[in-house]
Amino acid sequence: MQPGYYIVLAALLFTIGAVGVLIRRNAIVLFMCIELMLNASNLALVTFGRINGTLDGQIMAFFVMVVAAAEVVVGLAIIMSIFRTRRSASVDDANLLRY
Amino acid sequence: MNSFWLLIAIPLASAAILLLLGRWADRWGHWLGVLSVGVAFGLAVSYFVQLRGLPADDRSAEIDLFPFLHVGSLQVDFGLLFDPLSAVFVLLITGVGFLIHVYAVGYMAHDPKRRTFFAYFNLFVAAMLLLVLGNNYVMLYFGWEGVGLASYLLISFWYTRNSAATAGKKAFLMNRVGDAGLAIAIFIMFATLGTVDYSGVAEGVARLSSGVTLAIGLLLLIGACGKSGQFPLQAWLPDAMEGPTPVSALIHAATMVTAGVYLIARSNPIFNANPTAQAFVVAIGAITLVMGAIIGCAKDDIKRVLAWSTVSQIGYMFLGVGLGGGAYALALIHLLAHGFFKAGLFLGAGSVMHGMRDQVDIRRFGGLWKYMKITWATFGLAWLAIIGLPPLSGYYSKEPIIAAAFDRPGWTGWLYGGAALLGAALTAFYMTRLFVLTFHGPKRWTEEIEHPHESPPIMTVPLILLAFGSVGAGYLLSTSVPDWLTPVFEGAHEGEGAHHLSHAAVTWLSIVVTVLGALLAWALFRRGTALVEQPAGALVRAARRNLYGDAFNETVFEKPGLYLTRALVYFDNKGLDGLVNGLAALVGGGSSRLGRTQTGFVRSYALSMLGGALLVAVAFLVVRLG
Amino acid sequence: MTTAVDVLAQELQIRLPALDYLAMGPMLVLFGGACLGVLVEAFATRRSRPFLQFWLSLIALVAALVTVVRAANNSPQAFTADTAIAVDGPALFLQGTVIVLGMVALLLMGERRIDKGGPFVARASVPVGGEADRRQARESGSTEVFPLTLFALGGMTLFVAANDLLTMFVALEVFSLPLYLLCALARRRRLISQEAALKYFLLGAFASAFFVFGTALLYGFAGTLRLGGIHTAALGSTANPLLLFGGIALIAVALLFKVAAVPFHVWTPDVYQGAPTPVTAFMAACTKAAAIGALLRVLYVALDRVRWDIEPVIGAVAILTMLVGAVLAVTQTDIKRLLAYSSIANAGYLLVGALAFSREGVSSSLFYLAAYGFTVVAAFAVVALVRDEDGEATHLRRWAGLGRRSPVVAGLFTFLLLAFAGIPLTSGFTSKFAVFSAALGTSGQWQVAMVIAGVVTSMVLAFPYLRVVVMMWLSEPVENGPMVANAGTLTWTALWVGAFATLVLGVYPAPVLDLAHKAAEFLQ
Repeated sequence: MQPGYYIVLAALLFTIGAVGVLIRRNAIVLFMCIELMLNASNLALVTFGRINGTLDGQIMAFFVMVVAAAEVVVGLAIIMSIFRTRRSASVDDANLLRY
Repeated sequence: MNSFWLLIAIPLASAAILLLLGRWADRWGHWLGVLSVGVAFGLAVSYFVQLRGLPADDRSAEIDLFPFLHVGSLQVDFGLLFDPLSAVFVLLITGVGFLIHVYAVGYMAHDPKRRTFFAYFNLFVAAMLLLVLGNNYVMLYFGWEGVGLASYLLISFWYTRNSAATAGKKAFLMNRVGDAGLAIAIFIMFATLGTVDYSGVAEGVARLSSGVTLAIGLLLLIGACGKSGQFPLQAWLPDAMEGPTPVSALIHAATMVTAGVYLIARSNPIFNANPTAQAFVVAIGAITLVMGAIIGCAKDDIKRVLAWSTVSQIGYMFLGVGLGGGAYALALIHLLAHGFFKAGLFLGAGSVMHGMRDQVDIRRFGGLWKYMKITWATFGLAWLAIIGLPPLSGYYSKEPIIAAAFDRPGWTGWLYGGAALLGAALTAFYMTRLFVLTFHGPKRWTEEIEHPHESPPIMTVPLILLAFGSVGAGYLLSTSVPDWLTPVFEGAHEGEGAHHLSHAAVTWLSIVVTVLGALLAWALFRRGTALVEQPAGALVRAARRNLYGDAFNETVFEKPGLYLTRALVYFDNKGLDGLVNGLAALVGGGSSRLGRTQTGFVRSYALSMLGGALLVAVAFLVVRLG
Repeated sequence: MTTAVDVLAQELQIRLPALDYLAMGPMLVLFGGACLGVLVEAFATRRSRPFLQFWLSLIALVAALVTVVRAANNSPQAFTADTAIAVDGPALFLQGTVIVLGMVALLLMGERRIDKGGPFVARASVPVGGEADRRQARESGSTEVFPLTLFALGGMTLFVAANDLLTMFVALEVFSLPLYLLCALARRRRLISQEAALKYFLLGAFASAFFVFGTALLYGFAGTLRLGGIHTAALGSTANPLLLFGGIALIAVALLFKVAAVPFHVWTPDVYQGAPTPVTAFMAACTKAAAIGALLRVLYVALDRVRWDIEPVIGAVAILTMLVGAVLAVTQTDIKRLLAYSSIANAGYLLVGALAFSREGVSSSLFYLAAYGFTVVAAFAVVALVRDEDGEATHLRRWAGLGRRSPVVAGLFTFLLLAFAGIPLTSGFTSKFAVFSAALGTSGQWQVAMVIAGVVTSMVLAFPYLRVVVMMWLSEPVENGPMVANAGTLTWTALWVGAFATLVLGVYPAPVLDLAHKAAEFLQ
């Protein structure tokens, strides 16, 4: 199979994730969309690693996974603290700060 | 002589002491302020004498205090230059400044914030001296902004008055326009010449194309117009009279507003290299001098009449520096002479206001000569000086400029000479009107004033000294200044004079129109005037409204600026969110209704970022392919 | 075709990279201090923690600064950890800048007298408005902020030295994640503080995703993650240039997001307003320095061969940034939002310097970052000082007449605002002059356009600053107006240090300019 297809797939997944960020309201789902974008990037990295015949891409993918895990910890902590107060996980409710 | 940085340091230190000590210095602070300027004047005189002792070609001293900005090829030092041109300015600033400081001790005696006033006043003197003593354009810019700041603080000194606060803001904003011109001019000089030193610019100007010198010249002219209240940036200066009268006298008549003239005189290599830029200076000067004189005829506020007269007289100076050649020196003579008699006029006006409970409406004066004889006499001498009656100083300084304008070749000689002559006639008219309405004719005082009184000696002594200047300065200056300044303007080429009229004819003509204007005003106003504004023709109405300068600013600059801001805010609040909601409706289908009512801000931000990313990517492709 | 396992085996036989511990000293000290702080948090008693944590952090910062100076003296130009980290002039200068500014911001965080117990909440997990929340209002604030700050600073020092995209990404996250948390920890107005954290986190993570995908594309183009490799490949590679420019665009998004350039600035006003003021000061000074540092390195090391393609695009972004920041600042009524928009405009001025693509461009940007950092930290120190009963009085209407009640604070703030406006004899003038003349020194058409936009927007920006000055000195004081809080030495020290640096860098900037100029050479 052509590696180029994987790149197209990665780009599609990335776009789906980006559009998801724009149209979903639940903070958790929104965050999951960002994770999807990160994973799409991982796919692209690994594919390019394969194309280039070097290991940098795979290694980078591992790092991205670890960083994403750390991001989840921080993100969920913030989302939870807001949820406890507002009883809502919708990002649209958080709009005290504007203009 | 290499210690002339003290000139700047002493007033600056005094200002710092007055501001830092606060209430501790309330009792003696004003005397410290006077003393610091007095010492600076003494030093200035001694440096001046030393400079005179040097041979004529060698008359300049330069010191580099410390390296200021050294980035790569940009080398700017905190350097000062004491040469014949800065010497005359230093003498004017410290000398007239000292007299006005003394006067202010009396004028501000009952003001609770007198110490602060003197601190700002000292700050102004220090900044003004920095402006004229710098040896490069960046130093000049420092002083330029410094005097702007001091002027702003002093205009709105009585900030509890709404009009004073507004006037301060107006002055600051209009000056910013001019400052931007000056800043860009400096940037261009650095970009094209790699230096901003006066000497470096003078040497390098020959290498520049005429387009570049024109650009620099016009930008410098914008800067000069902003600071000197010249057309089209004239509107702030009359409003600046909201400040205390000594401020009007020192900053907005004698010194700061002439900084524009200094800038152009200092930049004479640039203007000499480009006749088009010079022509612009001449045109601005001619327009302003006529415009200021016309408006001055229609005003009834004593300080505003004097303010418009300042605008008009600086117009003469611009005319002079624009003509180039020998007229540089003529403009500077007028500048110095004007410093004396205009300061005298303003301080006289302050003395009148002091005795008349701060009344400023000349229709409410009249017959005051009996009550304040010293003010009347000194004001009278300054009045005769400004209208240019021989042998007072205005005659020696103004008349040669008119003659030089007539010497310009071609039809422009007739045009500018005629304008200068018209300005002289109008000056005689409105100044005589002012003098007659204030000091002569029937009393038209408001009820509460029973017995106007003369001001205390601390105010009248400076008046008398300035009156001596009004009488004698012109002759002394016109015989000594041209030779003195020769080294500064040696690059200036003499134009081939056209001599439309012989010099004697111009002299007689200007005396005749002056006398006619003065007699007309005397005849019209010797019996007083109506106490309220009378209906009048279109020209007078226009003049009363400052020839619509303010209205012009409002419609052309202020309104579009406001609309632009509002539109951008509207777009940020409504536009982006609306776009988000539209996209949500397209993709999310059913959630569209909810989306329109609930504005999702985080997501609109995300859209802005994604849109930006797409734009950046597309822009790269366009650049790559295009 | 070799399999991945073969490649791995080959790689494993190669020696482990040599580590220059001195060159990496600042990061090691900061991360070590942060880990120590976590232990203190776990084992020290609640009452001793504020004292211990504050001094531990301060000592760690001083030690880190000492290592920066030593590294600069010993080996000013060196790669280490293979070529993952470049310890060169700009890296060392910015590490020093970030650490010093971090110290000043740390003083604000350690202040415990303005709000009894410090500016941070005791337990962030307690829901806002409940009984438990009211009870914890009297408790001493959390001390996790200190190790979090150290982690962030460690990340920043790594970020400015990162020489490949992998290291850069890790450093980006290491300094971003603690910042997201710090934003949520305000003692008062916790709702907007949490909201700020949420927005910053979601958008920051979004931007990181762009960074990773951009990295993937560049990796696909150049076959390596090293910045130097991208530099080589930019002209030599046969791969599709779409990969190169797509990658640059996506990476630029992430970096411009941190820099707060238009149109990636949208988070800035909200986050600056919502975050606790000491954290805002920290972000405004240090994050900006780190982000510009990384952007400079990417532009000068990896992309200098395609600068003709970059200039128009990023130049347009810079012009837009200056315009939008300046114009929107005009109508702001909240002092923190006003400073946020001013920070956006300043990002534009920094981009002007960065896009000069010359040594002067680098040195002027470095100087600008240091000068601006001091001014902005001092400005936020003033914001932290002006308070009424329910915390900081950030609405500008409340500042009316402040000059009469507290002339010293109002005077200092006036001076800082004049510096923002670029009035001579303040660092604001010197730094703007430096970046503009650097840009004109290159004298391309885009540079000229940027400088014109810069001068015009400086004029526009003078208006909102001046309005605050007029408010403070010329307006009638409001009823029950805010007072200047009875602060301890820490906040006052931060304020005076910032103001003093603003003055010194305006009057006698030559030594720092010299230093920046000497430091302005990137290691290729």
